[in-house]
Amino acid sequence: MIDSVLSFANLSKTISAVSNRIIFAQIAGTVLAGEKIVFVGPSGQGKSTLLRILGLLDEADSGEMVLLGRPLHQWDPQAWRMNVCYVSQTPVMLEGTVEDNLRTVSRLHHAEYDPSYAAHLLSSVGLEEMGLSKEASTLSGGEKQRVALVRSLLLRPKLLLLDEITSSLDDVSKYAVERLITDINRQEGTGYVWISHDRDQAARIGEKVWSLSNGTLSEGGVSCL
Amino acid sequence: MSLIALASTLVFIAVSVGISIWQKLGLERDILYGTIRSAIQLLAVGFVLQYIFGTQHVLLIVLILAVMIAVATWHAGKRGKGLKRIYLYVGLTITMTEVVTMGLLLALSIIPFTARYVIPISGMTIGNAMVVSSLFLNQMKREAVTSRGEVETLLSLGASPRQAIHRMLNRSARFSMIPTIDGMKTVGLVQLPGMMTGMIVAGASPLEAVRYQILIMFAFASSAALTSILLALMSYRLWFGKLGQFTRSDT
Repeated sequence: MIDSVLSFANLSKTISAVSNRIIFAQIAGTVLAGEKIVFVGPSGQGKSTLLRILGLLDEADSGEMVLLGRPLHQWDPQAWRMNVCYVSQTPVMLEGTVEDNLRTVSRLHHAEYDPSYAAHLLSSVGLEEMGLSKEASTLSGGEKQRVALVRSLLLRPKLLLLDEITSSLDDVSKYAVERLITDINRQEGTGYVWISHDRDQAARIGEKVWSLSNGTLSEGGVSCL
Repeated sequence: MSLIALASTLVFIAVSVGISIWQKLGLERDILYGTIRSAIQLLAVGFVLQYIFGTQHVLLIVLILAVMIAVATWHAGKRGKGLKRIYLYVGLTITMTEVVTMGLLLALSIIPFTARYVIPISGMTIGNAMVVSSLFLNQMKREAVTSRGEVETLLSLGASPRQAIHRMLNRSARFSMIPTIDGMKTVGLVQLPGMMTGMIVAGASPLEAVRYQILIMFAFASSAALTSILLALMSYRLWFGKLGQFTRSDT
């Protein structure tokens, strides 16, 4: 039996700023170890909000979440985020060079930086020519998106929450990113929940489909796409 | 200064009210309110100080300092509206800044422990701490919008709230200290500070006035740094929810 990495139940979220609009109510879901989930649904239905809640960047109004068999209240939020890493669709470069950005994880956690692994990840997403001493703020949108992804992958989380991470990429880079994520999934068992509005991409990257619309989450196979 | 001379200073208010009416600035009410309020406040303070300087009672000095801190806390705390317990932290910050600054001045025998020295210099220290706190909180509120991405990126990489907000705190602390530091650089060249001007007008020698002004400037530099760092350390948690997520200040 494959263990569950992350599960949630009775999860509800309302935006109080906009006349108490209910985004979703009483939803439940499970991510098994190494599972490849593509997350679809119309824009503005709360997909990003759900991923941000699962990544502890936002808080649900009610509901339970369990990671690696332990409920949320037994976790230190920082340790939770190291296991469940949210990657935003709008990449934010931190102050400094590309290398400073890549070293962030090792700097934060006083861990050794692995330059060869970082170089491997960069070249896998088509950034082998990227000068590490380049100011990160000067990168193009597509470069930022890939550097931000590599920066998160260096954390080696158990589960990736990917929020339209190829939205600024051309086809070549998009396929490269898909290949890298699926390779890491195969080699290291890193599961993912990947928001995508691209049906072809969804079919390539997903084994299971989450669909969020009208406040409810439904699960299905890729054949429902 | 005679009472007639003091009354004549109202001509300056007449000028500003006149300009406001002429240019339709609509500030007449505010100017008149400010005039009456500042005159009453200063005259009342003058009588209170006159009385305290006469009695030299320690408890009265402490009471006056407590009132100054309370008013400063109220004004600076308003800048952090929406943040829970911000008044408590601002109050603690200003109190600690005052205790350390005054403690050093007294311990090093720079000033004697008399109301004549303790109260005016405390007033300036507390006033400066209030301005620094207000600037710090204002800048933090701005940063909470502009640096949200940076803080959340760091959080998602497993940073602790303290690590995630570190640069934002630094920028806000630096911002809050700029007026004090700029003031130190240009003092005497651009304007003669109020205290020094007051002493000279009241008959003190310029060299004596300058000595006290130097004392004040240096004390301000340390109190500005103390205020911003204490407020940063005490209040940074207020920007995070119970799961360590970055929250908006108005929620």
